[in-house]
Amino acid sequence: MKKIEAVIQPHKLEDVKAALKAIGIDGMTITEVRGHGRQKGHKEIYRGMEYEVDLLPKMKIEMVVSTARSEEVVQTILTSARTGKIGDGKIFVYDVAEAIRIRNDERGEGAL
Amino acid sequence: MWQPEGAHAELLRRSAEVDQIVITAFQQIRPPVTAVAVGGYGRRELFPYSDVDLLLLNAAPDETKEQRELISEFLRALWDAGLRVSQSVHTVEDCLELHQGNLELTISLLDHRFLAGDRARHGRLEAELPKFLHRERPTLMDQLCKMTRSRQSKFADTIYHLEPNVKEHPGALRDLHVIRWLATLRESPADYIPETAAELLYSIRIFLHRAMGRDANLLTFDLQEAISPEPAVWMREYYRSAREIWRAANQAMEASERRDLGLFSQFRDWRGRVSNSEFTVSRERVLLREPLELERDPEYPIRLMQFLARHNLRLARDTENRLMAALGGLWLNRQPSWPSLRALLALPHAAGALRVMHETGLLTRLIPEWTRIDCLVTRDFYHQYTVDEHTLVTLESLEELRDSKDPERQKLRTLLHETAAWETLRLALLLHDMGKGGGTGEHAAESVRHATIVMERLGVPPAERENVLFLIAHHLDLSGIMNSRDLNDPSTARYMAERIGTVERLRMLTLLTWADISAVNPAAMTPWRLEQLWLTYLTGYEEFTRELHTSRIREVCFTPEVSAFVEGFPTRYLNTHSEEDIRAHYILWNENRAAGMAIRIERSEGTWRMTVITSDRPFLLASLSGTLAAFGLNILKAEAFANSHGVILDTFAFADPHRTLELNASEVDRLRDTVRRAITGKVDVRKLLSGRRKAAIAGGAQIPASVAFNNEVSETCSLIEIVAVDRPGLLYDLTQVLSSAGLNIEVVLIDTEAHKAMDVFYVTHEGATVPLAMQPDIRRKLLEVCG
Repeated sequence: MKKIEAVIQPHKLEDVKAALKAIGIDGMTITEVRGHGRQKGHKEIYRGMEYEVDLLPKMKIEMVVSTARSEEVVQTILTSARTGKIGDGKIFVYDVAEAIRIRNDERGEGAL
Repeated sequence: MWQPEGAHAELLRRSAEVDQIVITAFQQIRPPVTAVAVGGYGRRELFPYSDVDLLLLNAAPDETKEQRELISEFLRALWDAGLRVSQSVHTVEDCLELHQGNLELTISLLDHRFLAGDRARHGRLEAELPKFLHRERPTLMDQLCKMTRSRQSKFADTIYHLEPNVKEHPGALRDLHVIRWLATLRESPADYIPETAAELLYSIRIFLHRAMGRDANLLTFDLQEAISPEPAVWMREYYRSAREIWRAANQAMEASERRDLGLFSQFRDWRGRVSNSEFTVSRERVLLREPLELERDPEYPIRLMQFLARHNLRLARDTENRLMAALGGLWLNRQPSWPSLRALLALPHAAGALRVMHETGLLTRLIPEWTRIDCLVTRDFYHQYTVDEHTLVTLESLEELRDSKDPERQKLRTLLHETAAWETLRLALLLHDMGKGGGTGEHAAESVRHATIVMERLGVPPAERENVLFLIAHHLDLSGIMNSRDLNDPSTARYMAERIGTVERLRMLTLLTWADISAVNPAAMTPWRLEQLWLTYLTGYEEFTRELHTSRIREVCFTPEVSAFVEGFPTRYLNTHSEEDIRAHYILWNENRAAGMAIRIERSEGTWRMTVITSDRPFLLASLSGTLAAFGLNILKAEAFANSHGVILDTFAFADPHRTLELNASEVDRLRDTVRRAITGKVDVRKLLSGRRKAAIAGGAQIPASVAFNNEVSETCSLIEIVAVDRPGLLYDLTQVLSSAGLNIEVVLIDTEAHKAMDVFYVTHEGATVPLAMQPDIRRKLLEVCG
């Protein structure tokens, strides 16, 4: 099992969700996050006053899928979240040791 | 099945049934105590799975082992009969004492009733209890009120929970009990008890107990559905009852709470000084001096609300009752006028006054359409309140933003301080969700439909109406843009500019969006959303500033003559002027062609306007603004545009603080004449001003002056943004500096809010941007005149 974590542009969320749904992935956790990477922040001037915009709003999507499907999911996110500009975000893939359904103690991929 | 009728009879029946069980067990076992029903059981309000409150009166505190055995056996018998007994054992003397931390015991005695045992012992309690209560009543009432207020605040002090607890929540059964207890303690049995509302709550609680098979009091979505096929509609009935109980409970508490003698009460008494000839303030509550005026003068209730909104006060109980009693006959022949309503909406604490209007029914009386959203439930995962409550919370959010010290919100607070039109924003918020409850899904369009009717009836003038309707129609735009559009994509900025039209509207829409999201639930406006909203605003703002110079009118569908006139003005000209304005300007233009200049001075809705059309020349704007200042007039807004024929159109909105023009018709002619001579250079504006140079800055306005150059907005033009404390003659001094430096003023937007002037100049130097080398010197001179 793999955990896939993607940080994407907020306006791409609906596209990514729709694309994942199309390949049958509809369980995910979505968090509104703020951060900066190479895109860094920038300064905004409003009426002569400078505002530091150092943490940019992003969306984080997390989901755990079977190892067999993880590459397909990554590809789907890549295509649907890409605009080609700096700030498109990143995807991280982790190994997952175990998944347990609290209701019935079901374990492994069956619990996903 | 929920049975709306006969709930009280059902409770009586259940109580009688339990009486029978208790008495039978008592007679069989003969415990050495006297059984007294107290609490809910005592007042014969026993719900199917409620605890059975029993007071067991013993003769002396220390029973023998045998006596204790008998009491235990009696209680066991009751448990075996299926009752959940909640018993306490006390002597009569015990009951006639205040127990620290056990107010519940004393309160439960208010509803005592003899069941079995020694009648004389109970008789003693019956005889002594009233004396005891009378002696301790200030303490008891005070503690009961404290306990109630603390319970209510635990549930956010609102009745409008989408899944309410019918026992504990504000406006639920516990509040009803408090009303009755306070009436008993105050020895005024004539107090109002909302019986119909009570009956509904009884029936719901009986249903909940039966449906869940236990002492369940939470009216969940599922159970609402089990009660009615149209749960959202049915819940309105619940909220209306809860509201009635909530109000009655608060009134009862207000009448019972003890007067403090501390500092706070001295402050409250000090507030009494705001009393005027119509209203008296006592302990933060407003009383009417001439209650009969309620029936005579349609403006009187509005003045009362203005009084609340100005001083942040609430109504006294008596005032509330009188107002509600007068409602039926109110405004039958004549509605309150729009100017007085507008004044109300512009006052600092209008949200509180509108809440009072909502609670007393005054709002529905004024706007019957309000019933559409009154207690209307939105059944989704993120809304926490009914639509009416949501609407009131949006209004409160705006005031909270104004008073907030939170640095995260600083940016948005700037926008609020730049917005003069509180009344427009507030009216838009009040009406923005009016279309909900239509069930069509497209509630913004539906809200516009209702708002149009409402504003027509209230007599809102067309220009203001248009702004409010715009805000309502577009109230979901920004949240749509911030969630689904790439803010870095230039097409997003253009899309916003096209949809929204002017920076003033963008500013109001941003504030409205902030209030709307903040009022969904207390956690909805996260720092994340705040940042997104701010970035969305900036995206639009930058587009508007950019296009002010770069986007000029090219093709418009007017007659060829009018087209020739508007060609080359910034597109803002079309966005901020009606067709009627444009036609009037065109007529002036023709006048200008004949006479070399055209000047129009007029007054509309309390503000004076001057429009000047002439050919461009150096120091022109300085001469015009200087002349106005020399007449003691205070410039509020100004715009200066040039079209492609080198014709300039300057418009000034100004206040006449000394009423010079209003009281002396000849002064208008003298002003026109002086302006004419100033334009042609026949009068020295500097000399005119010399008699007026005393800076009349109102104290307390601490705004650091700022001057910012920006050469990025366009290739041929520099932008200078100036923020400073406003004073008479400021615009004259600023334009004087710019013209003296050899700059040509292309576009000007002047705005003032309170004591703050926000001036935007687009200038060129020899047809190009202002060289960097010149900028420090100009900035220094500008800052000097800003003071």
